[in-house]
Amino acid sequence: MSIINITVIVYVIASIAYIAREIWRSMYTKWVSVGLLILAFCLNLVMVTKRSIEAGHPPFSNLYESLIFYACCTAFVYLIFEFIYNFRVVGALASVLAMLILLYATLQDDTIRPIMPALKSNWMLVHVITYMIGYASFGISFVTSIIFLIVKAFAKKENKEVENEREILPRNFDKLSYKIVAFGFPFLTLGMVTGAVWAKKAWGDYWSWDPKETWSLITWFAYLVYLHTPLVLPKMNINKSKASVILACWLLFAFAIVNFTFVGLNYLPSAADSEHIYGSK
Amino acid sequence: MKNKNQLRMTTETKDSQKNQNRISIHQPARRDSNRVWDFFCSVKLAVVIILLLVVACILGTVILQEKTMDEYTAKYGYALAAFFKITELNNVFYSYWFTFLLILLCANLICCTIKRWKNTFMQTGFILTHLSLILILIGGVVKFQFGVKGGVNVYEGKSVNYFLTQMINRQGKLDYVKKDLPFSIALDDFILEKNEPKFQLVSYIKSRNRQKNLEVKVGKRQRIPGSNYTVTIKDYIPDAELHQEPINTSDSADNPAIFVKLFGPDKVIAEGWLLAHDRNFYEDKKQNLRVEYIWVSSQEELEKAINSIETAHPKISVLISEQGLSQDYPMELNKTFKLEGTNYSLRMLQYVLNYGDRRPLEEQLTDNPAVQVEINGPEGSETRWVFEKFPDWDKMHPSKYKNLKLTCDGIASGHMAKNIVRLFQSSEGKQVMVSIKNNHITSTIPWELEKKYTIADSNHQIVVSKYFPSFNFRKEVIKKSDTVGVPAIFVEAEGPSGKVDDWLFSNNQYATWYTDNNLALVYESMGESIKHFTSRLRIIENGQTVAEKTIRVNDPLTYKGYVIYQSSYDPEAGNFSGLQIVKDPGISIVYSGFGSLCFGVIFIFYIKPFLRKKQK
Ligand code: HEM
Repeated sequence: MSIINITVIVYVIASIAYIAREIWRSMYTKWVSVGLLILAFCLNLVMVTKRSIEAGHPPFSNLYESLIFYACCTAFVYLIFEFIYNFRVVGALASVLAMLILLYATLQDDTIRPIMPALKSNWMLVHVITYMIGYASFGISFVTSIIFLIVKAFAKKENKEVENEREILPRNFDKLSYKIVAFGFPFLTLGMVTGAVWAKKAWGDYWSWDPKETWSLITWFAYLVYLHTPLVLPKMNINKSKASVILACWLLFAFAIVNFTFVGLNYLPSAADSEHIYGSK
Repeated sequence: MKNKNQLRMTTETKDSQKNQNRISIHQPARRDSNRVWDFFCSVKLAVVIILLLVVACILGTVILQEKTMDEYTAKYGYALAAFFKITELNNVFYSYWFTFLLILLCANLICCTIKRWKNTFMQTGFILTHLSLILILIGGVVKFQFGVKGGVNVYEGKSVNYFLTQMINRQGKLDYVKKDLPFSIALDDFILEKNEPKFQLVSYIKSRNRQKNLEVKVGKRQRIPGSNYTVTIKDYIPDAELHQEPINTSDSADNPAIFVKLFGPDKVIAEGWLLAHDRNFYEDKKQNLRVEYIWVSSQEELEKAINSIETAHPKISVLISEQGLSQDYPMELNKTFKLEGTNYSLRMLQYVLNYGDRRPLEEQLTDNPAVQVEINGPEGSETRWVFEKFPDWDKMHPSKYKNLKLTCDGIASGHMAKNIVRLFQSSEGKQVMVSIKNNHITSTIPWELEKKYTIADSNHQIVVSKYFPSFNFRKEVIKKSDTVGVPAIFVEAEGPSGKVDDWLFSNNQYATWYTDNNLALVYESMGESIKHFTSRLRIIENGQTVAEKTIRVNDPLTYKGYVIYQSSYDPEAGNFSGLQIVKDPGISIVYSGFGSLCFGVIFIFYIKPFLRKKQK
């Protein structure tokens, strides 16, 4: 069995462990679930490293490699938040997310090909790493928004549980989502800026309204709007509870844009002219 | 534009009435100017502008941008094309309305920054990010107004003092504008460095129509996912050559073959094996002669065959299996055939007698006839080669319309030789030689081994010197050298009908099929890829060399505000270098904007929360 299959399975087991931890809250289930996710993350990291050694270049030259790295970042960003805050159920969905990304990677062409000259740049390295961390954070905020919306729709009004500083309850996941987006947004910005500098170095122009560039701007705008709306909604006679639902829905939508920018641009009629879209050149 | 502005302000007035208590603090006389000010400061406006920009960006990627008017008309029809032109949807990012949105964004940013300006340390991030966006926008305007971008090709040893910029002119046509440079650029040397060729082993499972790359690693047993096949590479030779010695393996006619010699006036001019079930002909283009070896299995068949001179009509057959549709088309170049009952159409672009042979048709041997066909369907057009002898070729290679199977037949028939000698042999042992000239049978005689026969109207003679009823090769693979030349691998495939092994050569472009004809393997080169291309450039001003640099992708040369990039090269002969020339006086403004943006967001989202926490 190949390492990618093993990693997928460990992600699934980790996800089950997180659900178990939601049901039986103990130190034991906590460390088992975290341990399993760390194991999956390490396997994923081994895969990334192995690939980059075999290929002889940083492992982001095609969609297959980028997806594997993306899955790795998703687990990584989740684990960071796991160590800051204590939120169990998110882990179950985060590892499912990482697993789905890996499964999607297995559908891609995994041939090692020599990289084209334009990709041989340190700017490109920083560009991809920061972007992937940004995207991964948005993936996690997608998960927290889903949970928030579900809880909002089905949970009874009064919940006796009290929140301490480290433990955020699902009914307050709107705040958590904001924190995660706030964590990821600087990475997205850095990714965009380093991408522009790299484009300037390689193609002579930092911005040429290429479809990939335009869609990454759309993505950035989507999260910029999210970060500014909390300043607007209170002034518009919208009550707090409704505002939080709107924002959570917006995050679901914004994550769809992220995915479109990442893998969906081939469906655009302008894709044929693009320099940057995977698989179009 | 003015109207739009007023429109916006009236809507805003309505909004502000809701916030009556806030505004009423101000004195009535100052109310109007305050409203304008508040409008430009509001986050609501910011959100609205950003959302409008998002919509514009989406339109700008969904509608093709900056194409010629003809292309728009062809793709969208006349009315829509005209509409795009009026609304500038054909050039969204440089349109007046997009620019207007950006100006509005800028005004919003400036106003809100001024309004919120406090000289506190905590505000650093907010001010930096908002100012940075203004800087980037200003830099962009400078680039648009004073910058140029174009390209030029320089040949090795030559120099240029201009470059060309591309633009769509008023008439909607593509235009090149020549721009002079204040210096000239000489190309002293151009170097194209290629990667070592790489090879891959591709497996293909016909029943599932799935292609998968296998690892090229000696000794490793690999299961092909989703199937019962396993493949093991047993040996690898970096530079191999195949030696084959013809042998006869039995007396039953399993694979009949004859060895034919062709004599000129004084010596043998050609000799070789003709295999009844494989390569059964020899062609001599110079003499306009074709020799064929035809095996027939009964007396009646022989009678029929020796009297016929039929030549096949070239045709293409199309099969769409899921619709049970199958149809033949005559080979007529450049004519569009519609496939009845579907929305596909076909056009035959060209044909060859021997694929890959660059000589003119008349000189090509009829080794590997193929037709190039253009398929137009719901997902656009696709061009593919259809091979007469390799009907499954297209399955092995990526294509858009996998469901459409094309085969062809009789491609070479228009190029048949004037003189044809047909050597017939039947399973009963009858041997007949038929000579055909200009489509008429000129003689029919029996032939025997080792006997010389003169070919009518020529000073050539023909001898059949050997007959192997069961022809085979004794194969021997030898190693030519240790460096990578033509690598070959020895592969063992295991599946429902047992184990088979064979050598796969990387220079053999045809697939090797497993006995059940369901698994195919190809060992092939992944194509030469470019490692680097570099140009040694010299800048000459007033007859003197003022700068020199070897540029490559990602490493340009800068002189007097012009940046010279390596962008392409001559793909055919590799002796010109494609340069891109860019002048952008706004770049330092943009880069300072980038810097302050990065620092600003890091401040807001990392430093500020950290400081806040500490304060508590
Ligand atoms: C990287 C980009 C941006 C970041 C990080 C950012 C961040 C911020 C922050 C932190 C605030 C709140 C300031 C405070 O509470 O004192 C703010 C306010 C504001 N931002 Fe941005 N911003 C960005 C881009 C923009 C853009 C593109 C616009 C569009 C014009 C904009 C318009 C505004 C406005 C109007 C306010 C004022 C809110 C008010 O007065 O209540 N910002 N921004």
